[in-house]
Amino acid sequence: MLRAPMFRALVLAQLPSRAGILFTTSRMQSNAPAKAPEKIEVFIDDQPVMVAPGTTVLQAAAQVGVEIPRFCYHERLAVAGNCRMCLVEVEKSPKPVAACAMPVMKGWRIKTNSDMTRKAREGVMEFLLSNHPLDCPICDQGGECDLQDQAMAFGSDRSRFTDINHAGKRAVEDKDIGPLVKTIMTRCIHCTRCIRFASEVAGVDDLGTTGRGNEMQVGMYVEKLFLTELSGNVIDLCPVGALTNKPYSFVARPWEIRKVDSIDVLDALGSNIVVSTRTGEVLRILPRENEDINEEWLSDKSRFACDGLKRQRLITPMLRKPDGEFEAVEWESALITAAQAIRNAPKDKIAAVAGSLVDAEQLVAVKDLLNRLGSELLCTEQKFPTADGTSGTDLRSNYLLNSSIASCEDADLVLLVGTNPRYEAPLLNTRLRKGYVHKEQDIAYIGPEVDLSYRYEYLGNRSLTIEDIAKGKHPFAQRLKQAKRPLIIVGANALARNDGKAYIAALQSFARQLKPEDKNWKVWNVLQTNASQVAALDVGYKPGVEEVLAAQPKVLFLLGADGNAVNKENIPKDCFVIYQGHHGDQGAQLAHAILPGAAYTEKQGTYVNTEGRAQQTLVAVSPPGMAREDWKIIRALSEVVGTVLPYDTLDELRNRMEDIAPHLVRYGHLEENNFYAQAEQLIKTQASSFQGDVDVNQKSLEDFFMTDSITRASPTMAKCVAAVKKAQATG
Amino acid sequence: MARYFGIDKIGKLFSYIQQNGGIRNTLWKMYRMDEGKAGTLIGTDKYGNKYYEDPTQFYGRNRWVEYVEHRNLEYDGSQIPAEWFGWMHYKTDLPPHRDGNRKHYKWMADHSENLSGTTDSYMPYSTTRPKVEAWDPKKSTAQ
Amino acid sequence: MANVLVRVNSAPKQQLAASLLPLFKNIQIRSNSAQVSTPPPQTKTKFGGLADQDRVFTNLYGRHDWRLKGAMKRGDWYKTKEILEKGVDWILNEIKASGLRGRGGAGFPSGMKWSFMNKPSDGRPKYLVVNADEGEPGTCKDREIMRHDPHKLIEGCLIAGRAMGARAAYIYIRGEFYNEASNMQLAIAEAYQAGLLGKNACNSGYDFDVFMHRGAGAYICGEETALIESLEGKQGKPRLKPPFPADVGVFGCPTTVANVETVAVAPTICRRGGVWFASFGRTRNSGTKLFNISGHVNNPCTVEEEMSIPLKELIERHCGGVRGGWDNLLGIIPGGSSTPIIPKDVCAEALMDFDGLVACQTSLGTAAIIVMDKSTDVIKAIARLIAFYKHESCGQCTPCREGVSWMNKIMTRFVSGNARPDEIDMLWEVSKQIEGHSICALGDGAAWPVQGLIRHFRPVIEQRMQDFEKRQEATN
Repeated sequence: MLRAPMFRALVLAQLPSRAGILFTTSRMQSNAPAKAPEKIEVFIDDQPVMVAPGTTVLQAAAQVGVEIPRFCYHERLAVAGNCRMCLVEVEKSPKPVAACAMPVMKGWRIKTNSDMTRKAREGVMEFLLSNHPLDCPICDQGGECDLQDQAMAFGSDRSRFTDINHAGKRAVEDKDIGPLVKTIMTRCIHCTRCIRFASEVAGVDDLGTTGRGNEMQVGMYVEKLFLTELSGNVIDLCPVGALTNKPYSFVARPWEIRKVDSIDVLDALGSNIVVSTRTGEVLRILPRENEDINEEWLSDKSRFACDGLKRQRLITPMLRKPDGEFEAVEWESALITAAQAIRNAPKDKIAAVAGSLVDAEQLVAVKDLLNRLGSELLCTEQKFPTADGTSGTDLRSNYLLNSSIASCEDADLVLLVGTNPRYEAPLLNTRLRKGYVHKEQDIAYIGPEVDLSYRYEYLGNRSLTIEDIAKGKHPFAQRLKQAKRPLIIVGANALARNDGKAYIAALQSFARQLKPEDKNWKVWNVLQTNASQVAALDVGYKPGVEEVLAAQPKVLFLLGADGNAVNKENIPKDCFVIYQGHHGDQGAQLAHAILPGAAYTEKQGTYVNTEGRAQQTLVAVSPPGMAREDWKIIRALSEVVGTVLPYDTLDELRNRMEDIAPHLVRYGHLEENNFYAQAEQLIKTQASSFQGDVDVNQKSLEDFFMTDSITRASPTMAKCVAAVKKAQATG
Repeated sequence: MARYFGIDKIGKLFSYIQQNGGIRNTLWKMYRMDEGKAGTLIGTDKYGNKYYEDPTQFYGRNRWVEYVEHRNLEYDGSQIPAEWFGWMHYKTDLPPHRDGNRKHYKWMADHSENLSGTTDSYMPYSTTRPKVEAWDPKKSTAQ
Repeated sequence: MANVLVRVNSAPKQQLAASLLPLFKNIQIRSNSAQVSTPPPQTKTKFGGLADQDRVFTNLYGRHDWRLKGAMKRGDWYKTKEILEKGVDWILNEIKASGLRGRGGAGFPSGMKWSFMNKPSDGRPKYLVVNADEGEPGTCKDREIMRHDPHKLIEGCLIAGRAMGARAAYIYIRGEFYNEASNMQLAIAEAYQAGLLGKNACNSGYDFDVFMHRGAGAYICGEETALIESLEGKQGKPRLKPPFPADVGVFGCPTTVANVETVAVAPTICRRGGVWFASFGRTRNSGTKLFNISGHVNNPCTVEEEMSIPLKELIERHCGGVRGGWDNLLGIIPGGSSTPIIPKDVCAEALMDFDGLVACQTSLGTAAIIVMDKSTDVIKAIARLIAFYKHESCGQCTPCREGVSWMNKIMTRFVSGNARPDEIDMLWEVSKQIEGHSICALGDGAAWPVQGLIRHFRPVIEQRMQDFEKRQEATN
């Protein structure tokens, strides 16, 4: 029963002919427990606890706060029950039972600390250690190793492995599975967590076991790379040091590092992270559990791009000399030069373009400054369809992933249009895959053919299909209408096209026509790709640079705008460009003055993710060199310009943010959206026609790694791209 | 009796003044060295520092060095060369020029004084890479 | 006696558990053993000497035609239709009355096991899986059935399948059994052509298919859930139980896995009546059984005999005695490689049935008797068995993967004597740490031979160590 969901995950993909049978079985399996919600009483160490039938011994023990040691068991993976560390005694049972897999029966008396239990644990621990190398001093997992901790807590206090002097221990060849995960397979204790993660969550069935008995090895079967956007998670899952972080290898010990809770900004999901730092240096990034967003996973880009924060940094203000060369200057002269340019420019010819990594504080500060100076020319790099005269971004429900990330897995029919969630938002993709594997979710997709890690119904890449669906002519439209919890997810990049209006007009009104079972179910969803986009639209930036550039600004602020929306060709000739950001990338090349800002690990900034949830990053390290927190730079500039912004502290700035948009400071809270009908009306007024086929930017894994200024500066990401390209060339 | 009244001290003071070559020189010496005492000149090292002894002083204060004049107030213990170091610290009673057993090898380095705190002091340079690599506009424009 | 079954069902002290294992019958821990009617009181006192007319497997030695024609001459497929038409309950009652216990080693009452399948259907088809992955060293009974009497098995599949309402039977045959597989396949084809299988099998109106699947030669695939995994095309690694195969088995459907011999005797029981079958052997151990005697006997053989026959009589009567006379006997492994060895004095008293061997701290297993005379190096013999288990451990769970290979290392040293006497106790503890802690019973099966060795032959091991030490001192 416990393994039933795995059937579809593991078998269905390979045995299509048997799909029908399995379909029905797993469906029955999942429905069966729902009918009998009556609770049963069991006793954990004589403490009574009421649990639902089907609860495992381990879960029941967790309910009364008794933690049973485990290696192979993981809440988010199928139960394997093979490490046997969780053996506990059950009264009247002659053998200890595996707590992770055994459902409790009524009246069971479970003893988690009896002699039999302790002996069983000690025995298993002895066996695990009998073939585990004693290389803790040089092992990267040391200090955060489950095996170390549990050997201390549950193991024997001495060794009797006399065979170390005779036959020795097992040794296994290490495997090269890519530039991110380092393998020391001798340390493997065969818990198969990585295998289960790969096949269930990542949907890449490449990891597995070969050989048998003591010669069993975990590996890729053949020599190839573990090519998935989620490969880093196996490092966290591995209870020992068999899979470790390659860029972080031999860098630091867990007790040396300082951990700061923060938010990831490299995609629009706002995954929760822990930034590990030591001596002012970001060493690694780990996921932080958040059930609503990333569960406990993290995409490889978010995890491994942190070395990009140390390369190509802007650490000092710069001014362009008349000969075109940059010259490092002090803040004073940089600010004075910038302020002069601003003061000399006509009031309505000052513009700002926000890039993809800008925090809400900076957005608000820049907007306040420009508005006070008399300009309204503020925009984001990424386009979003707006109505002529009115704006499509006036109502949040137009541009948000309205039905929250977590509930995406509950949908029964999903239509993906012009988005490749696997690479644009890997952790949303794991949600969809979870729905697909465990909850009978069906997914259809319009766009160029890509591998989403699960099966989907491919509706082609013709934009005509969208029109047909919107008009109800397509057979899939009927299915959407019949679905109980349908979902339409449109990629922000599809809407950023010139014919984005056509997409939004067709699909949003169609989404309105659908009648989900639950009235509060939200059908219309936009999957943003930029971490700053939602906040920017929330505070009133206009999407797309065309309007702003058309106004021929004399001073142009580039706020980390490295997305090539503003470039040498379309920038007005006599325009003074001020680049404020943290990386020397495309935007900095255009600049006349460079004001070095802080990256997301260096400032306390607010980001609103694609579902409209505001979260804040915290300061893990201080900005390098002369770089400063971005809003402070704007505040200082306002002083020099002579239009002083009325906030001196972050709290005051956040009060101002609350005045503009209260949700910006309700951290962690998901703001409910409304006005769907009105939103549709706004959009409906604009008619447009499709041009060309549906496309996505990131088609395969090599497109995934380098998407913004941080990842482009990261050597690890460069290695990933090279590795993927090489693997594709040879494989 | 004279000792009782301290008259011998007065006598000593006069003999110091005499040996130092007058009141003016004595005051100068006291300004420079916080001390005006005089003793037997035992020897002079290659820098011109003069080494004195006065057995009537108690042990520990009966040997001293008067640094060469041009050092003025800028003197310190590390200016005593190694050969005089032993005599100064009572390791030996034989000053170097009277000690025939001192070995002189070719490889012996010349004495050098401690330059800490001066502009000539040794400053190690960092061998670690900077934690943050700055953007080099020239490099990237060339790309 | 009466509580033996209860003890077996509610699973075992270690020796009792031995009876549950060798060919990895399923250990279904269920409390409804009370359903089995109380057995008739024991009246018979002498067992053995099965008469020819009471033999079930009449072509055990391949002296007659194994094909359909020959099989029918020997009485197979006789009135199968009538048996099928008597209905599920009748068949189950006969099997229950016969007291047939699973012949694969665990000895679970077959009637009860088959009746687990008759729960109200939830729409999923049910399957019978015949475990023909006979890999236990010493065991060679199923292959004789399959190559010389395949129609007994096929008919058995049909009747057993009918009894549990199965849609089809899968015969999972060991990969090495090439001739057996081809005979089986031919026999199945014959049965289909004769209309005995397939749609409307035997004109009974019942549809039943038999498929044969050849394994790839892994011992672990004889474990029922590993067999199911292997049948599904995955790595043959045992599944966690619960859920038991009767709930979620092959392809996610209710499944019963039964041994070849168990299935193959079912038609004869139905034809001659459960009472006839129950008349052999002691109560609760009734029936006839194929015994495979190998090792140091004058005439190694596979023979069908009555249950509860004394071990000594079995060897003397059918195998011409132990090589060099009974006094030359060192010890006997009575039930296939995974059962503990018993020394000569115990052998003299042992009765060859489930309870009789449990009383001797060993187990009937598959009734594969391995006889060792005094020329045997018993430590080396057991070490070889452990090497086999080490090789065949699937590597899935820790105690078996690490423990058995550790035991193998220790046993290898024991063979030469390169160890300290206190390591014998360590080995005992290690074997105890494996036993009962693994997912399937392979760990238990590997632990028991070692425990048997230490229990009965400890002085031999100690002597070996002393000799080794002397040799070492002499060379130094």
